[in-house]
Amino acid sequence: MSATLLLPAAVFAPFVGAALAPWLGPRLKRRSGLLLWLAFAPALALTTLVPAALRSAPASSSIAWVPTLGLDLTFRADGFSLLFALMVGVIGVLVTLYAAAYLVPGERQGRFFGYLLAFGGAMLGLVLADNLIALFAFWELTSVTSFLLVGYWDSRAAARDGAVKALLVTAFGGLALLVAVILLGLGGHSATLSGLDVTALRSSPLFAPALALLLVAAFTKSAQLPFHLWLPTAMEAPTPVSAFLHSATMVKAGVFLIAKFGFLLDGTAFGQVGLYVGLATMFWGSYLALRQNDLKALLAYSTVSQLGILTAMYASGHPFGATAHLVNHAAFKATLFLVVGIIDHATGSRDIRALGGLARKLPLTAVLAVPAALSMAGVPPFGGFISKELFYEAMQHEGALAAVLAVTGSVMTFAYSLRFLTVFFGPYRADAPEVHRPHTAFWLPVLPLATAVVLFGVAWPQHTVATALTALAAPGLGYAVKPLALWHGLSSTLLLSAVTWLTGVLLHLLRARFAALQERLTPGWNANSVYYGLLASVERGAGDFTRLTQGAPFATHLRVLFLGVAAVGAVRGFGVALPSLSAVPVDMAVATGLVVAGVGGTLLTRSRLSALIYLGLAGVASTLIFVLLQAPDLALTQLLVDTVTVILFLSVFRFLPAMRRYTRPAVQGVLDGVLATAVGATVFSLLLSVQAPVAPHIDPFFLRYSKLLAGGTNVVNVILVDFRGYDTMGEITVLAIAALAVLALLRLQTQQRLEPEAEGPAEGGADPPAPATVPGPSEGDEDPGGAS
Amino acid sequence: MELLLPLVASLLIGAGVFLVLSRALIRLILGVAFISYGVNIAILLAGEGERHDAPPLLQLPGPHNDPLPQALILTAIVISFATTALLLVLALRAYQVTGTDHVQELADRPDPARPVVVYADPEYPSVSPEIGTANDVDAGGEGADT
Repeated sequence: MSATLLLPAAVFAPFVGAALAPWLGPRLKRRSGLLLWLAFAPALALTTLVPAALRSAPASSSIAWVPTLGLDLTFRADGFSLLFALMVGVIGVLVTLYAAAYLVPGERQGRFFGYLLAFGGAMLGLVLADNLIALFAFWELTSVTSFLLVGYWDSRAAARDGAVKALLVTAFGGLALLVAVILLGLGGHSATLSGLDVTALRSSPLFAPALALLLVAAFTKSAQLPFHLWLPTAMEAPTPVSAFLHSATMVKAGVFLIAKFGFLLDGTAFGQVGLYVGLATMFWGSYLALRQNDLKALLAYSTVSQLGILTAMYASGHPFGATAHLVNHAAFKATLFLVVGIIDHATGSRDIRALGGLARKLPLTAVLAVPAALSMAGVPPFGGFISKELFYEAMQHEGALAAVLAVTGSVMTFAYSLRFLTVFFGPYRADAPEVHRPHTAFWLPVLPLATAVVLFGVAWPQHTVATALTALAAPGLGYAVKPLALWHGLSSTLLLSAVTWLTGVLLHLLRARFAALQERLTPGWNANSVYYGLLASVERGAGDFTRLTQGAPFATHLRVLFLGVAAVGAVRGFGVALPSLSAVPVDMAVATGLVVAGVGGTLLTRSRLSALIYLGLAGVASTLIFVLLQAPDLALTQLLVDTVTVILFLSVFRFLPAMRRYTRPAVQGVLDGVLATAVGATVFSLLLSVQAPVAPHIDPFFLRYSKLLAGGTNVVNVILVDFRGYDTMGEITVLAIAALAVLALLRLQTQQRLEPEAEGPAEGGADPPAPATVPGPSEGDEDPGGAS
Repeated sequence: MELLLPLVASLLIGAGVFLVLSRALIRLILGVAFISYGVNIAILLAGEGERHDAPPLLQLPGPHNDPLPQALILTAIVISFATTALLLVLALRAYQVTGTDHVQELADRPDPARPVVVYADPEYPSVSPEIGTANDVDAGGEGADT
């Protein structure tokens, strides 16, 4: 298959599998995993692209979407991307097979495998994407699928909480990444990663903010301080998910980002930031791992710590050692997670304090676990030792502080690795009544990973296997491969390793005392308490804001609104020159008199019928004013509308109670009066200040072309139906919707009025009508409410 | 006259504001109607250029009055009619369902169509979560395949 086809196929095949999974799940049940791993087959086929990547001529493919905006689905398989993609593919296959044995019958298989495969596709897309926006999109997809997988057991509060936390933290980083890739694209004049103009980018003012945001994104995804808090709680996910997403692949996306953009970090302060954040995370992660009693929590904090190593090395320009460690970590950590899943299933517990001597009951599992744990500890002849040496070597170049942090962190790593192994040795003390051996389907998928752990330290043709794998990424990241062996002579690095082992053993032996010390040193707050505090304050703030702005009575909202209007008057109104009241024509005086009468009457009357008449009076007055202002169409319309309005009011009055006097408290009345006066005064002053036109009047146009273009002499009509015809159409639509609403409400009323009659005698009663069901006006109404 | 008409418009609007703040539903609707009257006159006053003595009817000798504000107000009159009619029928309906025409009582009444949601105080787990085992999943749910 050509690369142009293979690259998109590798990314999208898992998505196709995800779409099929919900259909397969209920049919094949637990066996669906045995079929669905095939979705990763195209990813495994990416191996065929390795030679091209080694020749520094990486395969690529592009699917155009919006080329003018630089939005294309461009994939590019350079060595590093390929290494990552193969890692995702291999672990994806093994985890899918493992999950088939792990999930208990009765679980929602379709959903699980659907999420898992969708994640696999997103992760493959992320590592292979060359287009910056596509990179961001796949990045976000991994966050979303991770959220779904962590919350898979959604009946558990802890799983939901872990899912939300993971999503909030990583989505925050996702936003940073979006801005970062946009800035990079703008500064580097390219929509693709490989096409960035590095010289232009480095001199661009966008360079520093882009890198800062890039680091924020990487730190959130890869659980670096202070964003490490989400990873341990994400362990609520089923164990295959923890092995796949939260140790081997997704959490390495941040590291992947730092590695990909490592050439930009070189020689900037951001490289140093990455170095020390990584080292601090490494130190703090292993310190916390030492405190855990849950096997899975121990591995979670261990992952945080190991991600710190990778961040530190990539950020400070040691991609060779970092890549070696990346491969090693993926192998041993995935193995350990899957082993924990087996222990959990076999004994029903993951508590280190409750488990011991399992090697006798689960010999095969122990065989799988011991090399992996020793590799994590950095003991030869396993791969972890080689990369630990590279780490030490790199940190010695970075100064004393870096070296000290690296060694102390590694000492604690060594200690917790030994602690992990205690569950297999010593007297047998599993609490479970009987320990059952894992099914072959359970441990078989772990075997290749455990084999890899061993193989990575073994010499193969001339270097170790890990070195050979690391060489694959060399052209992509642009580093030289150094041949590495387990033994490379006496050096300061080896000395540091020896110190680590000795101190590590000592620390393990003194574990009880050290644990007591840790207990005493635990501060009252941590990243989690900050997170929950922040979350609670957001909720509280939102509640307070809502109560403050939404809880008030209706009239209060209006008062605030009117107060704003009055404020405009207060600001703009003063200083408006009052024109003198020249001779008032008689007809105008009559109209004014009518308005005053209408307004005054409405305000004073207690009868709704009189109020209606006064309203009509004001309507007539405004009709008169329209006539006087030479607006005959308005006068006509106003008269018609007023007539219909009065009829409408009258027909509705039939069903409404007499206008009761809900007098407001005297103070309120006075205040409302003042407010109303202020609003009136505002209108008055604004009207007086609108004297000079702000824009040239356009009436000459209408007057000139009305006859010419539209053939009408009534210019107002022509404007309505021709020049501004769409406006009128909108108006008619509004009118029609209002009419429909009125009709619907009136029909509702007649229907409900008929119901009690059909049911028999009216129930009456003094209790207030129950909402929604009881129709009609309540008793005491002036209208008996016959058929309407 | 230049003083009189702005005065009339602001009188109508001011009275409308006072009525809208009232507690009786009917007076609220009357208030909306008054505000519409006032606003229409205000638009006419503010929008016109030089005032002439002839309406914008071309068969009459000019100079003609500005037709544009008139066209806009014509739309406004019709829309405010629709608003008033809808408000009126809504008020009627609200009274029939709830038995009150008091604005605040209406607002305080729980909406029968929407159940009252009580938000429980979410209890988040402590720092180091108690991670359960794979087996304590409640069986069933969508797509369960036992």
